[in-house]
Amino acid sequence: MIELFLSQILNGLAIGQVYALIALGFSLVFGVSNLINFAQGALFMLGAFFAFTGVTFFGLPLWLAAVASVVLVSLLGMALEGVALRPLTNGPYIAPVLSTLAISIIVDQLAEIIWSPEGRSFPSPFEEVTFYVGSAYFTSTDILIFVFGGLSALALTWFLKYSWMGRTVRATAQDRDAAAQLGVRTDDVRRLAFALAGALGAISGILVALYFKSVFPQMGMPFALKGFAAALLGGLTSIPGAVLGGMLLGVVETLASAYVGEGFRDLVAFSLLLVFLLFRPQGLLGDRRLDALGGAGGASGPMPSTSLLASASSQRAAHRIWDLPPWGFLLAGAVLAVLPFVTQNAYLLQAVVYAMIFAMLSASVSLVSGSMGVLSIGHAAFYGVGAYSVAVLGHTWGWPAEFALPAAVVITALVAAVAALPLYKLSGHTAALGTLAIGQIGFLVFMTWLPVTRGPMGFLNIPAPVFDFLGGLRLSTVGQKYWLVALVAAVGLFLVQRLVDSDIGRVWRGMREDRLASHAAGIPVRRYLLMGFAVSGALAGAAGGLFSYVQSVISPDSFNVQASLLILTMAVLGGLGNLTGAALAGFLLAIVPELLRPFAEWRMIVYGAILLLMLRWRPQGLLGAR
Amino acid sequence: MEHQTGLRVESVSRHFSGVVAVDDVSLALAPGETLALVGPNGAGKSTLIQLMSGVDRISSGRIFLNGRRIDRLPPERIARLGLGRSFQTSRVFPALSVWDSVMLGTQANLLSGGHGRILANAAHEVLATLMGTPGWRRRVEQQEHIVRETLQLFGDRLWPRRDQPAFSLSYANRRRLEIARVLAAQPDYILLDEPAAGMNPTETGELTDLLLTLRQQWPQLGILVVEHKLSLVRKVADRVIVLNQGRVLAEGEPDHALDHPEVVEAYLGRQRRSGSSDAHLG
Repeated sequence: MIELFLSQILNGLAIGQVYALIALGFSLVFGVSNLINFAQGALFMLGAFFAFTGVTFFGLPLWLAAVASVVLVSLLGMALEGVALRPLTNGPYIAPVLSTLAISIIVDQLAEIIWSPEGRSFPSPFEEVTFYVGSAYFTSTDILIFVFGGLSALALTWFLKYSWMGRTVRATAQDRDAAAQLGVRTDDVRRLAFALAGALGAISGILVALYFKSVFPQMGMPFALKGFAAALLGGLTSIPGAVLGGMLLGVVETLASAYVGEGFRDLVAFSLLLVFLLFRPQGLLGDRRLDALGGAGGASGPMPSTSLLASASSQRAAHRIWDLPPWGFLLAGAVLAVLPFVTQNAYLLQAVVYAMIFAMLSASVSLVSGSMGVLSIGHAAFYGVGAYSVAVLGHTWGWPAEFALPAAVVITALVAAVAALPLYKLSGHTAALGTLAIGQIGFLVFMTWLPVTRGPMGFLNIPAPVFDFLGGLRLSTVGQKYWLVALVAAVGLFLVQRLVDSDIGRVWRGMREDRLASHAAGIPVRRYLLMGFAVSGALAGAAGGLFSYVQSVISPDSFNVQASLLILTMAVLGGLGNLTGAALAGFLLAIVPELLRPFAEWRMIVYGAILLLMLRWRPQGLLGAR
Repeated sequence: MEHQTGLRVESVSRHFSGVVAVDDVSLALAPGETLALVGPNGAGKSTLIQLMSGVDRISSGRIFLNGRRIDRLPPERIARLGLGRSFQTSRVFPALSVWDSVMLGTQANLLSGGHGRILANAAHEVLATLMGTPGWRRRVEQQEHIVRETLQLFGDRLWPRRDQPAFSLSYANRRRLEIARVLAAQPDYILLDEPAAGMNPTETGELTDLLLTLRQQWPQLGILVVEHKLSLVRKVADRVIVLNQGRVLAEGEPDHALDHPEVVEAYLGRQRRSGSSDAHLG
């Protein structure tokens, strides 16, 4: 018994070592540029694939392929800094964060095109040996990971602590302006940090490939998420903290997997993160300089603001805002409702139905991320709660639509409000990572709560909406469901726009602009935060419920982190806080790819590229952030 | 003693890991009184305001507002109990319009319909807002009326700019805007942290007049003002407390306290020659 336990601990420490390396990459970049680097997962994946290609395609020995891969990815890390960060230095704080997100979307999809989406087996250079100490066991791969991972972490620590370059990195992390005034070339330091992040990413990628003996293009995201979690547990700005956080995460999730069940590995990992965010948001060894997205400067500069859209120069340009009055959404819905009279083309109607659903989702994110200023990277969980509510109520319990759909809305609103509770004390980066954890937990609950959600299989044959009050009216064809979707979307957006235009919307924007001043002005901040999440959740829940009815088949894959990222992209493109812009961007980005099916695999790349260009040239979005 | 009206600070201290920022300070602010807190940089004036408004926690001591202990309450509760404050660097909700920025000051009163506790529950608020019920609309209009009057207190500095974003205002106007937001909440006591910092003499004069107007219009309003510009202090304050290195150095009528030899020494580091003015202090 105790031997099994020890084996699990050893195993957990090995995988924890990998998380620690990824976390170190985050912490370095975060420290130096105050930026969450979402592309860290892409660098990790590229490291593994470059080594894979070196071994299988060029026939190099593994060590040479690994070295070449580390060098290449370090260079790519520097290139990433040049593309994602440098041009956006004076832009809004949120811009570089989102631009690394855009790049990771592009790279992940390119990898699928280049190396095919399927996993490949990674050639192991040696026979695996298993060692026994008593009856505790560990493998040679564990040792390899442990030794290489540990050496990398030690080398990095030594470099940061004792070399001059390392000192400039630490100085820049502490106070960029002061370092620059003392003659440190902070631009070079930033490039160096990205190069190191690339090297760490590549090393951890290769180690993971060795550990699982396979590589696959989607491997970046799950490990990047674990890396985030590890970095946050450790304290995000602390190097020993990152190592400690990685180890802790590795051990806890390995134990969870051994004693609770394999499916609970990730669920426990992200729940641990959420618990930490709730009770110790600064992490194990971190400090409290995470107060605003702009770091210390954002919250206490010449014009204090906690807004995501504020910038380092604290100068803000006024921009025009185009948005509809509330009744405009009713009008738009009425106009769209005419379409089934014009055409009965099921393909086109289906595309417009999805477009309307995504318009609601995008508006829902825009409310949270734009009006309230909590960058949401987990909204797909709320979307999923709505979808599963309708599936369970309609399919398992046989409720009619007039009860199932409103129930889904209410359930999702409650779930969103409860999920927002741990976010109350967080701001800026940590809040964003909190929403990421919430999104992951949602997805993992859909995957593991078998009796209710049926796990990875999901639901088949969700019945078409039937209205008992309307004499058993049954909407079975796409043309009929279309009207339900148009009605709910129009009324939903009408109501939410009314709130955004009211005193409540003003308070939401005030909390975004300056959380401290809101408190000092006597505004019950928690009440309005929960209210905002509940309203946003209601809208997302309605969208999810409609999705269930329209699709009649749902599985957790529709509600993963990629879906969250897609919806966030839509909201940003429309102009954060601008519901009209969000709805329009959601509508267009959902419908155009439907009509261009043959280019499906390029779709995410095009989204990423649009996002990148938008951040550079029009950070306020299509119709103007509000 | 605890049932007295007024804001009472009783032997309050605040340590920052070894550094004593505020050291056993006691003071009282009565309704209708204007108290000025002066002292050199680092004397602990702003820290004291942070403590009184609940933004920072005291290390020891007690603070009472109208007999109610407030030193463990969060800032939003303290604000709703009728204690408003401004910040040393004005916090004005940069992207909101001037009008919206001041309206936010009235939100707590909108919810409570007066002072103190939140009355309207969240579901009621959302439904009333969505339906635009006449009762709720009346409450909103009442607050809008207060905001209009408050903005007009500042002459044509703020009112004509009410639709412009706060970030487009000049430095002095941002200070005015913040004071307007504090006043719109109709507090019983206000704490102003260097309201005239960065203002030129004309603007300082205007602010002085504003404070005098406030005293006239709301004779019950208690004002605590931290200020370096002694010309302003001499004109508006009933009483002055001089802080130095976290301790109360002197207390009394403005002319008496400010000319106290120890005070002069704390500011200038030496005795002042007779006959010179304090013009160098603004």
